[in-house]
Amino acid sequence: MRAFVERFDETARRRFAAIGQTVVYRGELLRHPVYTRFLHWSVAIFFILALLSGFAIYSPWLFRWIAPLFGGGPTTRALHPWFSLFFTIFFALQFMNWLSPMAWREADRRFVRQLKEFAANKEKLAPEDTGFFNGGQKLYFWAIVISALIFLLTGVVLWFDHQFPRVLVTISYVMHDLAALLMLGGFIIHLYEATAAQPGTFRSMINGAVTEEWAWTHHPAWYRAVTGRDPRESYERARRRQAERERAMQLWEREQDERERAGAQTAPAGKPEP
Amino acid sequence: MTNGWIDIKNTDMMLIMGGNPAENHPCGFKWPVEAKLRRNAKMIVVDPRFTRTASQADLFLQIRAGADIAFLGGLINYAIENNRIAKDYLVNYTNASFIVKEGFKLPEDGLFSGFDAATRNYDTASWNYQEGGSVGSTESRSPQAHSSPATPGHGPMAGATGGGHQAAGPAGAAAQGGQKPAPQLPPSVAHDLSLAHPRCVFQLLKKNYARYAPEMVERITGIPRDQFLKAAEMFTSVRKDGDMKKAGTIIYAVGWTQHTSGTQIIRTAAMLQLLLGNVGRAGGGVNALRGHSNIQGATDMGGVFDIFPGYLKLPNPTDVDLGAYLHRVTPKPSKPAEWDSFNYWSNTPKFMVSFLKAMFGDAAKKENDWAYDYLPKIERKYSWTEMWDYMYSGKVRGLFAFGMNGVAIGPNSRKNIEALKKADWLVVCEIYPDETSEFWKAPGTSAEEMKKINTTVYRLPGAGFAEKDGTFVNSARWLQWKYVALPPPGQAKVDQEILARIFLKVRELYQQEGGKFPEPIANLSWSYTTPQSPSLSEVAKEINGRALADLTDEKQPGVTIKSGQQLPGFAWLRDDGTTLCGNWLYSGSWTEAGPQSQRRDTEDPSGLGIYSNWAWSWPANRRVMYNRASCDPNGKPWDPERRQVWWNDGQQKWVGNDVPDFKVDSKPQDHMGPFIMNPEGVGRIFAPLAAFADGPFPEHYEPMESPIANPLHPNQSNNPVAKKYQSDLDKFGTPEQGFNVVCTTYRLTEHYHYWTKNNPMNVQLVPEPFVEIPAQLADEMGIRGGEKIKVTSARGIYVAKAMVTRRIKPMLIDGKKTFQIGIPIHWGYRGIKEDEGKTALHPANMLSPAAIDPNAYTPEYKGFLVKIEKA
Amino acid sequence: MAERSTFQIQEISGHTGPVAGRGTQRAVEVCKYIDVTTCIGCKACEVACVEWNDHPFRETVFDNTYQTMPTTEWNYWNLIKFAEQERDGTMMWLMRKDQCMHCEDPGCLRACPADGAIVKYENGIVDFQQENCIGCGYCISGCPFDIPKFNQATKKVYKCTLCSDRVGEGLEPACIKACPTGCLHFGTKNDMKELAEARARQLREYSGFADAGVYDPQSVGGTHVIYVLHDATRPELYGGLPANPQIPLTYTFWKRIAKPTGLAMALLGAVGIFFHRVFIGPKTPQPDPAPILKRAEAADEIETGKKENS
Repeated sequence: MRAFVERFDETARRRFAAIGQTVVYRGELLRHPVYTRFLHWSVAIFFILALLSGFAIYSPWLFRWIAPLFGGGPTTRALHPWFSLFFTIFFALQFMNWLSPMAWREADRRFVRQLKEFAANKEKLAPEDTGFFNGGQKLYFWAIVISALIFLLTGVVLWFDHQFPRVLVTISYVMHDLAALLMLGGFIIHLYEATAAQPGTFRSMINGAVTEEWAWTHHPAWYRAVTGRDPRESYERARRRQAERERAMQLWEREQDERERAGAQTAPAGKPEP
Repeated sequence: MTNGWIDIKNTDMMLIMGGNPAENHPCGFKWPVEAKLRRNAKMIVVDPRFTRTASQADLFLQIRAGADIAFLGGLINYAIENNRIAKDYLVNYTNASFIVKEGFKLPEDGLFSGFDAATRNYDTASWNYQEGGSVGSTESRSPQAHSSPATPGHGPMAGATGGGHQAAGPAGAAAQGGQKPAPQLPPSVAHDLSLAHPRCVFQLLKKNYARYAPEMVERITGIPRDQFLKAAEMFTSVRKDGDMKKAGTIIYAVGWTQHTSGTQIIRTAAMLQLLLGNVGRAGGGVNALRGHSNIQGATDMGGVFDIFPGYLKLPNPTDVDLGAYLHRVTPKPSKPAEWDSFNYWSNTPKFMVSFLKAMFGDAAKKENDWAYDYLPKIERKYSWTEMWDYMYSGKVRGLFAFGMNGVAIGPNSRKNIEALKKADWLVVCEIYPDETSEFWKAPGTSAEEMKKINTTVYRLPGAGFAEKDGTFVNSARWLQWKYVALPPPGQAKVDQEILARIFLKVRELYQQEGGKFPEPIANLSWSYTTPQSPSLSEVAKEINGRALADLTDEKQPGVTIKSGQQLPGFAWLRDDGTTLCGNWLYSGSWTEAGPQSQRRDTEDPSGLGIYSNWAWSWPANRRVMYNRASCDPNGKPWDPERRQVWWNDGQQKWVGNDVPDFKVDSKPQDHMGPFIMNPEGVGRIFAPLAAFADGPFPEHYEPMESPIANPLHPNQSNNPVAKKYQSDLDKFGTPEQGFNVVCTTYRLTEHYHYWTKNNPMNVQLVPEPFVEIPAQLADEMGIRGGEKIKVTSARGIYVAKAMVTRRIKPMLIDGKKTFQIGIPIHWGYRGIKEDEGKTALHPANMLSPAAIDPNAYTPEYKGFLVKIEKA
Repeated sequence: MAERSTFQIQEISGHTGPVAGRGTQRAVEVCKYIDVTTCIGCKACEVACVEWNDHPFRETVFDNTYQTMPTTEWNYWNLIKFAEQERDGTMMWLMRKDQCMHCEDPGCLRACPADGAIVKYENGIVDFQQENCIGCGYCISGCPFDIPKFNQATKKVYKCTLCSDRVGEGLEPACIKACPTGCLHFGTKNDMKELAEARARQLREYSGFADAGVYDPQSVGGTHVIYVLHDATRPELYGGLPANPQIPLTYTFWKRIAKPTGLAMALLGAVGIFFHRVFIGPKTPQPDPAPILKRAEAADEIETGKKENS
């Protein structure tokens, strides 16, 4: 099974790599190949469509805002299961694509334990054993897996509600919504983390590449794995270099200042002092 | 109905038997419901199945189909035994006190006196009253006798010697061949007001029905003794301690009629009601529910082979002239000398001459006996089954089928189909193609056979009920005018146009080519504005009658009916040719004041639901017949809260909320009987002479096909004078041949006879034929609901899905476990589902036998034998 | 007879904000009273319903019963349910007209998410507005009487309207008009309740039905269709009339608790991340070119603030 998944995923990756390309500049690392990016955005698009159309049905407050986007209530309702179906399909592929990097490890347990510190931004650098994905990302991934399963099962019940007993249908409504809430919570954090909270992350899903700095900062173990360099050392070197650069800059700036002052003495008087 | 639909709301007790009004008369059933709601009236339902009506009953009894007389006879016995009888009523308003001639024998062995085994007919001479005066004590509270009874009617035969009797049917007379003079009722009848004389009607009644003890009722009907007693107690409770205040009604339909003793079942009910003093009273009576919207009107207008409109009897060949005819059919009073009798049928000559004037107009003259010779004379029963039998034997060569589906109606549909194959021609006027107009499509007709059929079929597109105007006469005898909702579609024509055009063509042929006897056709009065399509209002006016000369009446000085004016009622009819009237009973329905049938006034001041100004009710717009009997002999209502009519001392006449069904100025002291249509003036508990072909008292006879021998008299199990046919298709089955299940047929609310199977709406409600079978029988045979079963009688098969139900229970009939099944009749081989091939295509009447009631000639559609098996 | 003015909308499904005109006048609540004990199962009401609402005919099949079809359908809103029952050897054939009960607290309305798809008028009629129906089918499982039915072709849900179109014009519903025995009555809730109670009393006192009573289930706040039953203690005998109809608990939980909580959580989350960004700021790739001063300043400010406050 596992072998089949890997073979399938490998083939898909190759096919997509042949179609698209990822440009990696110096100082950058390849993070998400074309296939992964394709899957991610397919999942994202259908997830957002399903979420929005679902929200329309879910809440009267949102209904009147969102339903018109899909052409009114009935079409919103009609499209929702189809959006969800495509979401499920793409997510299933993504599941295969990410199954191994998403495997839960000891480091992730630690990550979860130190979640508070992570959120408080106490440490500038992620723990050194943080791999391709950190514990939060994995948590989100598995949350999606679980809610997608709930979605699928309850969604089928709701889609074909005539075929199922009423009790099951009523339970399904609630389960479906709880799953949506779970996913929504993760989604909000995911959105934040991938954009405003971690500059440089968003481009990884656009260009496919990240800077080395980003890599050793957020995913040191992965950095070590792909570059063979020690992330802390690389960081220290970069920091030293930056300090040197800064010193040099300060030196240069001082020189400039002195040069300006000398120039001012030869200049005509009358210029007001600041 | 003696009473009417609305009047049922006034009842305290209902016995619904031989009918399923909730199912077949749902609109009328609101009144039984009303009685339950407003009066806490009790409802007893007796039926072979637990029906929709039974669902409303306070007490339901499951009876074996065809055992009705045993049940009702048992009730008579119970009422007498427990003194639940209306003594005053019985003595004064019925012939209970009349003494019956010596020589009359009760049917302990199954036969009354006078049976001729060779002709299978009765000589009814011994079924008569004894001539004479009072033979017992006169302790009865009847008012003092009055001298010289008046005979208001007088006719051309006034000088004829002897009396007439009303009821001698033409056949009876024919059978007696006119050789010896028909026996007559004595003008003065011996009577015993103490009802003690051993040969008085009451004692004979008591003796006869003593045989119908609860144990015997149980053996015959299958109703357990305790249940029967419960019902008997309940029904007769209206006469508890002789109290006359309450009233009970009996409601029935063709569940009684369609037996070989059908007429006698109804008579038993009438006798029971007389015994309990329930006839003529609000909330009482014997109430026939008519199964078609205008079947009452059809009967009133002579839609039966042996009557003219207004129940005038058809002449027979012995009636050589009008005088002889009128002499035979006009009754003379026959009563205790002290009493009075209106004997309204003494006016028969007036009705008849006016009818002849309506038929033949100016061609009916005194000189030619008012064209009496133009009338057909019948020498035998041209009844429904007779007609098909004659066609099957090749004597009848063609048939007009208007508004009826002869094949589906049956009985023994196979014979009717075979008969049509032999006919030369068939004309069908219908709104749908039906089993009759496509008789060759009957199941089992091979292509080879079809080629041999030489019947020419003409199909005329008729108009549906909503496409015609005219009147419907309902069960309550109301003539109600209806209006056209839509014109007939396409080439369809209204009936009167089709009939008129055929008539005009036939008359033209007679005029051009002559013929054997052209006068009746050539002289038929046809003075309508549009001869090709007479307007029904013109016809209705003709039926009401009009004056042909200025008329005056000595009793109504100053009132003159001008020549040409509409008559106000049948009291104005004359036998001298100065009036014309199509049907005396309907005289008053379209007067100078206009069409009374179109009245729609909802005033009901009495609160009894009389609605005198809504439509018009025959006779004379009275709503409850015999309503004189709603008062005690002194003219005071039995129940002051339900006052219908009463004697007003001040005005010296009968007045009331209803039109008195009586001679309005006849004082109570005159002791005129309230049953003015009988020559006795009283109700007949004993029906003398040839009133009924099978006996003056009803006797329980087994259906022609019965699971048991009659426990009363096994050697005379069936009705001895019931009619059967001798053709090869008239077969009867016995339990020994395996026909061991009692089968009855009926209709459903959701369908109307054989046409709603063409209407998607009705088909949606009940899509397919089915057979209702008891769950226990289904269990024994391993039949599940919805499985197809085959029902076989000696005559044919019927295949349909089984409806397995606990609403029909197995019964113990004379100790023998017996099952009953029921088949709704609505399907055949033409209709929406039939055309899709979705039903078994057998009309239900493939099963039923042509066994005929000797009085009404109705076939025994209910209670025949079948066997069932899985199909 | 209901007046037109009572057709004031009282409640609307999936609707936010006030209901226009609600409570502006004294409402007359209408009610259909069905005396099951005098129903003869003639199906006139079924036909009247189909005809008045112009419903197409349905294909039916024989099913070992007099009942037209197993349940009401999207185009068959009125169905008499036939039930054979035997009690102490006495046969009873119960016929109950099944249709929308027009609950005071309608489960369908509570379940419906679409704005204006289900309205409840001040007069008590619960009406589906198909133009607003999104076909989600929530109402179907929200109804304790199994009444709303889905039409696969139009993808919308339909049910009995209590002939709101007729009632609005001052007429009785079509079924009432057609009933031949008068077992169907229509009027104000109070009047009908009184009639029904009187009939139930009559049944108890004169007809030997000791358990006769009125069916007006309070578990859904009462209904605007009420029954008189021979045995009100066992309504389930009458073709499965629920003894204690309940809007599914999950709906109450879902609509009243889960939904607002969920929404609040989502909103809180959004606000939370916003303030996270403002207060705590991003995790930038290190080394961060900007020095650490800002936090120090902030700490100073807090110190200052503390001082000021104390």
